[in-house]
Amino acid sequence: MRFKHSLLRLGLRSGMVLLTVLCAAAPAADWPQWRGPGRTGISIEKGWLDQWPAAGPAIAWRAAVGLGASSFVVGDGRVFTMGHADGQDTVFCFEAVSGKPIWKHSYPAELGDKFFEGGTTGTPTLDGGRLYALSRWGDAFCFEAATGKIIWSVNVQKETGCPVPDWGFTGAPLVLAGRLILNVGEAGLALDKATGKLLWKSADKNAGYSTPLPVELDGRVLVLLGSSKSYLAVNPVDGKEAWRAPWVTEYGVNAADPIVSGGKMFVSTGYGKGAALFALGAGAPEEVWRARAFRTQLNAAVLHDGHLYGVDGDTTSIGGIKCLEFATGTEKWAHKDFRTGALSMADGRLIALSGTGTLMIAPASPTGFSPTASAKILDGKCWAAPVLANGLIYCRNTSGNVVVIDVRKK
Amino acid sequence: MKLDRRSFLRKSAVAGAAFAAAPYVRAAAPGRKFRTALIGCGWWGKNILKEAMASGRCQTAALADVDATTLEVAADQVNGLSGDTPKTYKDYRELLAREKPDIVIIATPDHWHALNTIAAVSAGAHVFVEKPTGHTVNESRAMLKAVRDSGRVAQIGLHRRIGPHHVSGMQFLKSGAVGEVGMVRVFAHGGGDVEKPSLNEAPPDGMDWDFWCGPAPLRPFNKRIHPGGWRNYLDYANGQLGDWGVHWLDQVMWWSGDAPLKRVFCAGGRPVRGVPVLNTKEQTSDAPDHQVATYEFEKFTCVWEHRRFADNNSEKHKIGAYFYGTKGVLHLGWRDGWTFYPTAKSAKIEHENPQLQEPDGHNLALLWADFMESIDQRRAPVAGIELAHRATVLPLLGMVSWRVGRSLAWDAATERVIGDPEANQLLSRPYREPWIYPSA
Repeated sequence: MRFKHSLLRLGLRSGMVLLTVLCAAAPAADWPQWRGPGRTGISIEKGWLDQWPAAGPAIAWRAAVGLGASSFVVGDGRVFTMGHADGQDTVFCFEAVSGKPIWKHSYPAELGDKFFEGGTTGTPTLDGGRLYALSRWGDAFCFEAATGKIIWSVNVQKETGCPVPDWGFTGAPLVLAGRLILNVGEAGLALDKATGKLLWKSADKNAGYSTPLPVELDGRVLVLLGSSKSYLAVNPVDGKEAWRAPWVTEYGVNAADPIVSGGKMFVSTGYGKGAALFALGAGAPEEVWRARAFRTQLNAAVLHDGHLYGVDGDTTSIGGIKCLEFATGTEKWAHKDFRTGALSMADGRLIALSGTGTLMIAPASPTGFSPTASAKILDGKCWAAPVLANGLIYCRNTSGNVVVIDVRKK
Repeated sequence: MKLDRRSFLRKSAVAGAAFAAAPYVRAAAPGRKFRTALIGCGWWGKNILKEAMASGRCQTAALADVDATTLEVAADQVNGLSGDTPKTYKDYRELLAREKPDIVIIATPDHWHALNTIAAVSAGAHVFVEKPTGHTVNESRAMLKAVRDSGRVAQIGLHRRIGPHHVSGMQFLKSGAVGEVGMVRVFAHGGGDVEKPSLNEAPPDGMDWDFWCGPAPLRPFNKRIHPGGWRNYLDYANGQLGDWGVHWLDQVMWWSGDAPLKRVFCAGGRPVRGVPVLNTKEQTSDAPDHQVATYEFEKFTCVWEHRRFADNNSEKHKIGAYFYGTKGVLHLGWRDGWTFYPTAKSAKIEHENPQLQEPDGHNLALLWADFMESIDQRRAPVAGIELAHRATVLPLLGMVSWRVGRSLAWDAATERVIGDPEANQLLSRPYREPWIYPSA
């Protein structure tokens, strides 16, 4: 009802516009891909501890994975991430509960320390017993998830000649209908997920840094990409562009994934650009509202009960968590001095890791930010969102220290 | 109309100078803001422009940049911060002709400073231009002459002339607390490693790369050069010595009361980064990965050192100036403020924290306020063209010595190298057509 009402208010034709984010099939509490099972930054997990003793939370295990801001994916009892050290990137697989190393694979890679420490920025994707990874420099891999055996690998940058954007390819691979879709080139490219063979590519222009987001619009499946100068939609079958919303962010950093709900697309980027909501229909997206003071530079917000919760500010600013009403862009509250940390959500609670390593659990509420638990768990810079899967919260800093917090109810 | 306003302002400024407590005479004209333009809309240019907007005394009238995307981003940010809707230009000459700005901020790469500045002051604008003044010595001389001839105010981005801990550190030095200073060491160290070539590629859509290179050689476009990396390409800047060196050598000029340089010798190279690469396919930077320059003055010796490898964890400080006096060593630094290490074992270490604007650790707000006040009062700004020219000559001469591989005897009065035609040749450089090297 509410959905229909909002469409009518926008004066759209009554043609059945149906827009939902496609959910990957995943066991109950795994986190097999970037932003989780629904690609929303929200876990479906319930019944975990949102409080811990004053002494701090229980730590399940620790590891060191090298430089980078890569997040985690979890499935079938394994957790995966990436990092960089000594001229090579490494893809790591650990036992999810114990942290015991299962396999790793290293390949030569540049540090890429342009205006930051460098290291890996992308996150792998787990699908059907395989792990797909993309390096900043275009190395795409398909591994057997259990063993690390390489099924295929290809450097898509060398194969297509697409330019490497300033900070390298960053979006996680998207597995969709037999294809592996990558944010490489102006409007993405697709490989055959079984063989790595190139199926289609886009113009030799800079990609943005978002992860391809599949949505269904008017019965049609489209993939949304942050490109260097716009957020755009392509048909995953042939790569044909459906529409684009011009969105110019400094240095081409359209990094945060768009958020789609109720026929609208929310977009937010850093460098003073801010946020906007677009109405999606048959033609080009139309701006509904613009809010300058909500700037998600690296990680997208989460949407819960009509409100967005996200990290506002650039890595060079003090940053803060803000709550914004999705329909109007009205700011509900701001929690300052969070730096450019990141957050995720589960069971109505925000799981927020500050840019300086303080993990906080707080109810997601438009009335304010009131953590029920807080602990300093890491030093240095934390840019990767904490990932909750099966009662464990996986956190890391950019220098590659991994800390896994145990929030399982005993 | 314009002349009238300017002559009015001149009169007001004279009156203003008599009222030190009310420096903002020009702003007293109700609602009148300086029509301000920015040439070079990258990271640092926008930082300066933000100070102009924050002062409440400037209206952003126009922006110029050779990259259409950069312009669009800057115009959007200006609109978000101030509500102004600046006109945008690719060509700074067209901006100056059409907009007739009161103030022009210049934050292009070094190789553009001279032409931009000379055009702006000749068009009647006051100028805030980034350090170093010129890319070669005679450009800096031409800038100095143009500013003098125009009667306009030129503030150079040497914010360490006004940063609070620099001011107090300088007072401490001049109080005699450090004793007789016989040697200064200025330095900027960091980590680094071998540099691999990176692939050349097409310039970004909407960017006029030929215009960006302007009077300098046209290199193939490479992301390592733009944005930001041009500081390490000698066609467009002068490496660490030109970038950081000018700040700290200027502190030496400040302390010494502009002592005239007698002789300089500079050695350095790229043993770690590697031999520079430049071909159609790929390139590296070409600035030295380390340099040591010895500057000889009548009463003291000054040594510049930079390394872009090994870092400097064996010492307390990685950047700044050590003033070695008979009573101890004063370190004047950046985020580490200043610290005095006395000779006498019984004396205590003295220290003062910096007061910087973060995240970039500068004092642009103070420098901008001084610029406004100097326009109001028709007085020399704290980092004016005269002193900035003298400070810029030092790193530029260091580079000339490094290029010719021998020490240079310098005549500070005529600004010529004594008895070295080859070195004197390098005080200028050929410009790429159609640009013409400015004359002093």
